[in-house]
Amino acid sequence: MASADPILHFFTIIENQSGVIVNETPKLDLDLYIANYRGRTCFDRLLLVGRSSVPLCVDALKAAITEAKKGKDVQRYRDAWECIRIAAPNEPESKWDPAWVEMTEKANKIETARLEAELKQYKNNLVKESIRIGLRDLGEHLEQVGELAAASDAYLRMRPEASTQAHILIVTKHLIGIVLQRRDWPSVLANVGKMMTNGMSDDEQKLHQPFQKLVTGIANLHSDKFYEAARNFLEVGDPSICQSCNDIMSLNDVATYGGLLALASMDRSELQSRVLDNSNFRNYLELEPHIRKAVSMFVNGRYSACLSILESYRADYLLDIHLQGHVPAIFSAIRNKCIVQYFIPFSCVTLESMHKSFAKPGESLESELIAMIRSGKLKARINTIDKLLVAVSIDDRIEMQKKGLETAKVYETEALERIRRMNIVAADLEVKGNRKSQGSALPSIAGETWFDDTRRQLSQAESTAG
Amino acid sequence: MDPALATFIQTHLVKLAELIKEPPLPLDQYGAQLLELIDPEVNSLSYMAVLHTLLLPNVTGPREVILEKLVKFLLGFDPRQIRYAGSHLLEILTLVCGGSILPPSVAVEAVSTAILKIDPAGAMFTSSHLQLARLAYSTNNIDPALKVIEKNIVFYPGMANWKKPSMLCDMTLSPSVYIHKETGFTNPVKAASVLEYDMLAGMMFCSKRDWTKAHAAFERVVSYPTRDGGCSKIMAEAYKKWVLVSLLFKGKLVPLPLYTGPAAAKNYQTLGKPYKDVGSLFDTTNAGELRTEVEKSNQIWQEDNNVGLIQEVLSAYQEWQIKNLQNIYSKVSIAEIRQQTKSAQTGSILSSDDDIEALIRNMIISNSLKGVIEKNDDGTVFLTFLPASTALSEAEFAQEMTKTAVQLKALDPIFKATNERLGTSREYIKHMIKEQKRAADKSELDPTMGFESHVDDEDLMGGVMSTT
Repeated sequence: MASADPILHFFTIIENQSGVIVNETPKLDLDLYIANYRGRTCFDRLLLVGRSSVPLCVDALKAAITEAKKGKDVQRYRDAWECIRIAAPNEPESKWDPAWVEMTEKANKIETARLEAELKQYKNNLVKESIRIGLRDLGEHLEQVGELAAASDAYLRMRPEASTQAHILIVTKHLIGIVLQRRDWPSVLANVGKMMTNGMSDDEQKLHQPFQKLVTGIANLHSDKFYEAARNFLEVGDPSICQSCNDIMSLNDVATYGGLLALASMDRSELQSRVLDNSNFRNYLELEPHIRKAVSMFVNGRYSACLSILESYRADYLLDIHLQGHVPAIFSAIRNKCIVQYFIPFSCVTLESMHKSFAKPGESLESELIAMIRSGKLKARINTIDKLLVAVSIDDRIEMQKKGLETAKVYETEALERIRRMNIVAADLEVKGNRKSQGSALPSIAGETWFDDTRRQLSQAESTAG
Repeated sequence: MDPALATFIQTHLVKLAELIKEPPLPLDQYGAQLLELIDPEVNSLSYMAVLHTLLLPNVTGPREVILEKLVKFLLGFDPRQIRYAGSHLLEILTLVCGGSILPPSVAVEAVSTAILKIDPAGAMFTSSHLQLARLAYSTNNIDPALKVIEKNIVFYPGMANWKKPSMLCDMTLSPSVYIHKETGFTNPVKAASVLEYDMLAGMMFCSKRDWTKAHAAFERVVSYPTRDGGCSKIMAEAYKKWVLVSLLFKGKLVPLPLYTGPAAAKNYQTLGKPYKDVGSLFDTTNAGELRTEVEKSNQIWQEDNNVGLIQEVLSAYQEWQIKNLQNIYSKVSIAEIRQQTKSAQTGSILSSDDDIEALIRNMIISNSLKGVIEKNDDGTVFLTFLPASTALSEAEFAQEMTKTAVQLKALDPIFKATNERLGTSREYIKHMIKEQKRAADKSELDPTMGFESHVDDEDLMGGVMSTT
């Protein structure tokens, strides 16, 4: 327990930076989890887990240090070290390794210079293909070093050198990879659009579909478009091809994202047809059986069971790099939907039974119900005296009568107003602006002194009278 | 009968003019006696001629007697005869509206009656309307003026395409035809007069706490037709009041009418910002913030003379909070209402359940809330919200519908007058003649087989084809 204090200190700092902190132990196994990924995303995920999860903090940060040292990005090492220095000062990883840093920086510089020199040579030779390869190598190197802006610049310069459709695709994929890392979601969507515009054969389409759907889904998720994102994840397609995209997300993630977002945004019949009966997506769901279970619970109307499954996995979701920020919104959307669905067949439910099904221990459901009623999601009224939730029954007859009378009233006022306006115009009584002073704060022509006017009028009348 | 009456009145007027010019007996001495002899309801013109001479330019003769006669005349004249002497009546009305010869309450009553005698529908705006509104508002004699103020005004003097009617005494004439500066019933009016009138009307309804009508009146000013980016100061003032009244009337900010002038709407954005800020906080549960926002701009409310309305808004806040609860609860205990609604005057909840109960009782009594306060066996007092409207029986509904139909029928003369005016405008007639010519051309079997009309449609090929 010697390390308890530094960890506490570390998480106080994180809390001050308003980061997410997860106290519960997640169900995932860190090594197995990270083995699902390759490339730069591993480090990002490890660092996120290290900064968020109290139980996994030290392990994850240590793994992050190891991961960073495997690569060439010095800044990443520094970031991870800054964390572990505070969280676990006694670990061997928390010693700054100046030799590695110096060596890597030097090697990076040499490599950059070498690639640039090569590129220059290719340019002199005017061979398109070698220029393209040179730029690609340079871009990839810069990406590994962590200079994302320069890397995306290099990739962009590849575009004029591209001679086939496949080349353009490569450029776009590289660019998307960069904007994903920079979390620039609108650019992701824009680039994906470019990727799929031109006519492709079915095979090619199939080949690129997973990547395209994945990145679109992520971008939509971050833009809070849950329904669109869910559709994207559900349409990812062939798992074997999708496997190759594990530098972005794993197959398990596809299942989790797709299932969760579908739960949050689709109704029961849509869930049945698009999620459970979707033969392609079934392959993914097999990887995350709890999602499958939750969805079928929802479809079968066992809402509290569905919620408790999801609730037990909340810690895992909170440690996911993309879901983290959206978990509260997704969960509350699912909860709201559960409550609405639960209530549909009834005209009146006791608050107690609602509590039993939905309330979290120690919390009252009432404020949530009030919020839902206020926002119009739930058409019901609360009766706090008899402890009931009563459905709003609309009497069509009253509605019709009200509408009829209202329409007549509106017609009358509108007709009068229109005639009035026509006649004002006919009498040339509009308030006219001075064309020149248009846009100035108050191009007032009339009534500048209208109260004075009154007085003048009165005194005039007095003088005539007196 | 009508033509005879018209000629008779004309000759009578000529005689009257002569008599007034050179009265056989000095009017300032015998005028009052003379008025005793004439019945204002039968011989309105003669009566007014004498009265006019006695009143203007100065009251001559026994003041009390003459003023009594004046009131008698204004309340009882024959609207048909008086159409021939609009300018004299206007001068008398202007004098009365000056407020110095009659006590204001009498003056307002007399002028209101006279205005409605001239135009029973009250659909025509005149310069007297504005004078009446000023007098009524400034002397706080609002009730007697309401019968005029509440009328829907749709006609304005000076509308284009005015033609002198052949017979002024024709009782079927639309007011827009006989009330005109040529007939003397009104002075020329300016846009500012119309704006000021509606503004005053709105303020009068405010002091009667009739928010619905006040809202409509201010809205007429706010959305007044504009041209070339025009916006008047009155409109901006009205906007501020309109925002506050809409809070009282609807419980929230309502969007500007679509036909508001774009330049005006832009000005409202900047000039009415403090008001909008208050408005956007009104339908939130944030009483404290509303209160600070109001206090922040105290100076502005004072400068704009809106302190009273702002106070109304603050005190109405909690009532609207309670009213909004009926969208959430069907039954709720008084204690819970107290916990959930705050007073905007203090920014905190009321101090006791009794206070809130009294507030709710008042709301129920004033019919702004439909509900009943009941008591449980265990002593909890609670409020049950009742549905806003109950189903009408078939007969009741039919009755309502007939009433509405009658109201709509009442618009008929206005439609007719507008239709007539537009139908006889020069542009429209020109257009009609052109259309008729075209129609005639088409029906004639002309040798070009309608080539020309096809040309109009720019269907050259069609024309060519038909000639072959």
